[in-house]
Amino acid sequence: MQTQEEILSKVQEALVEALGVDDDEVTPDATLVGDLGAESIDFLDIVFRLEKAFSIKIPRDELFPEDILTNDEYVQDGRVNEAGVAKLAERMPFADLSKFKENPAVQDFANQLTVSDMCRYVENKLAA
Amino acid sequence: MRWFWIDRFEELVSGQYAVAVKNVSAAEPQMQDHFASHPVMPTSLIIEGMAQTGGLLVSEYNDFQERVVLAKLAKSVFHCYAMPGDTLHYRATIQQIHKDGAMVRVTSHLGERTQGEVDLFFAHLSDRAHGRELFEPSQFLNWLKAVRIFHVGRKADGSPLRIPPHLQQHASGGIRHSEPVPSQTAS
Amino acid sequence: MRFTLVDRILELERGKRVAAVKTVSLTEDYLVDHFPRFPVLPGVFMLEAMTQASAWLIRVTDDFAHSMVMLKEARNVKFADFVVPGKTLHVSAEIKSRDEHTTTLAAHGSVDGESKVSGRLVLHHYNLADTDPRDAAMDQHVRQDLRKMLGLLWPEGVASQAAV
Repeated sequence: MQTQEEILSKVQEALVEALGVDDDEVTPDATLVGDLGAESIDFLDIVFRLEKAFSIKIPRDELFPEDILTNDEYVQDGRVNEAGVAKLAERMPFADLSKFKENPAVQDFANQLTVSDMCRYVENKLAA
Repeated sequence: MRWFWIDRFEELVSGQYAVAVKNVSAAEPQMQDHFASHPVMPTSLIIEGMAQTGGLLVSEYNDFQERVVLAKLAKSVFHCYAMPGDTLHYRATIQQIHKDGAMVRVTSHLGERTQGEVDLFFAHLSDRAHGRELFEPSQFLNWLKAVRIFHVGRKADGSPLRIPPHLQQHASGGIRHSEPVPSQTAS
Repeated sequence: MRFTLVDRILELERGKRVAAVKTVSLTEDYLVDHFPRFPVLPGVFMLEAMTQASAWLIRVTDDFAHSMVMLKEARNVKFADFVVPGKTLHVSAEIKSRDEHTTTLAAHGSVDGESKVSGRLVLHHYNLADTDPRDAAMDQHVRQDLRKMLGLLWPEGVASQAAV
């Protein structure tokens, strides 16, 4: 059973390798997109490294819920409605959506994923 | 300048690894300026050869149904340079493969010596170019035949690689789709 | 084919940074194969454009002290999008660190302000005579050829350097 420190350390290593950032930039609160400069191409790299580091499988829609974010039922005028936010919370229990709820713009969704969110995701996967 | 940076495949095992060869020649167009008095193979074109080796290996895994494009060069290191008269061997090994893309490690060799190592990420075309086709199917098939993929390629169970049905209709002679390709004896 | 993936150097600050352009033309013959139905600048040629811009920065900074400048390492090179014929790739490179034979640069390429490629490059610069003193003459020839090329790519820069 891996400790939170061990998980954080491996997640940090994966992000440093994938994004070419320095160790000290990968703080728990750092956002992957905003702070660490991750682009869509990088997410595949990150997913592969995490799968390898933790021997887990990461289905794309668990981290990138495109099906929810492009569904008319959940999104109107580029904003995610209450039902949509609830669905996101259900799909991604590891993610801290409190900031997103204040301003649920679809295009901002990917931007608010943090290093801590990734650690919690891995933790959940390992516990399952 | 053609955009063929491998000359032929020597080995290919579906979903696993492939080895391709590139001969470096003084007559190649890039040598005129790189550099006029001292031709040496540009690193970027070695990387392209490694990408073509890895990219076709990844594409073959899905029977060449999807085109792959190079999305990211995660890491690449080169230890020495290749000159006219050298033969480069590129060995590509699939590390991970998903429906979105693949990660491939490719090493480049000059004889016994490891010349370079790269980690490449390929994305599947539908993600990247909004469904644009890259090749005329017959041109693509001709390239695959020219680099001898069907001559040396094997499925994981050891059976020979055959031209997949969606490309067979464009086969215009040479290899008949109903017959296995005669295997090359190792030279 | 001229193997120059830089058409023009726009700015060069010795020891610091360089900005250059590469315009893609449908007449470039490798586009016939890359790709027949969707001609686009190959990713490795975006990398080569960044490499060549970086190499010119090193050569001018060091006043052609080393005849050979080669791409030795490339890290985190992302090909974000395609560059189609008719478009101009603006490349820039900034020196991050140097030692006697290697220079690390952060390089970038964009079209109409949109990022197309970025990465970290390590260039290796040396003379052929370092390994074989008999090759000193070849170093001279390479330098001469490259100075001529620089005159084509950065005429105003070369003129101002001469005036100094």
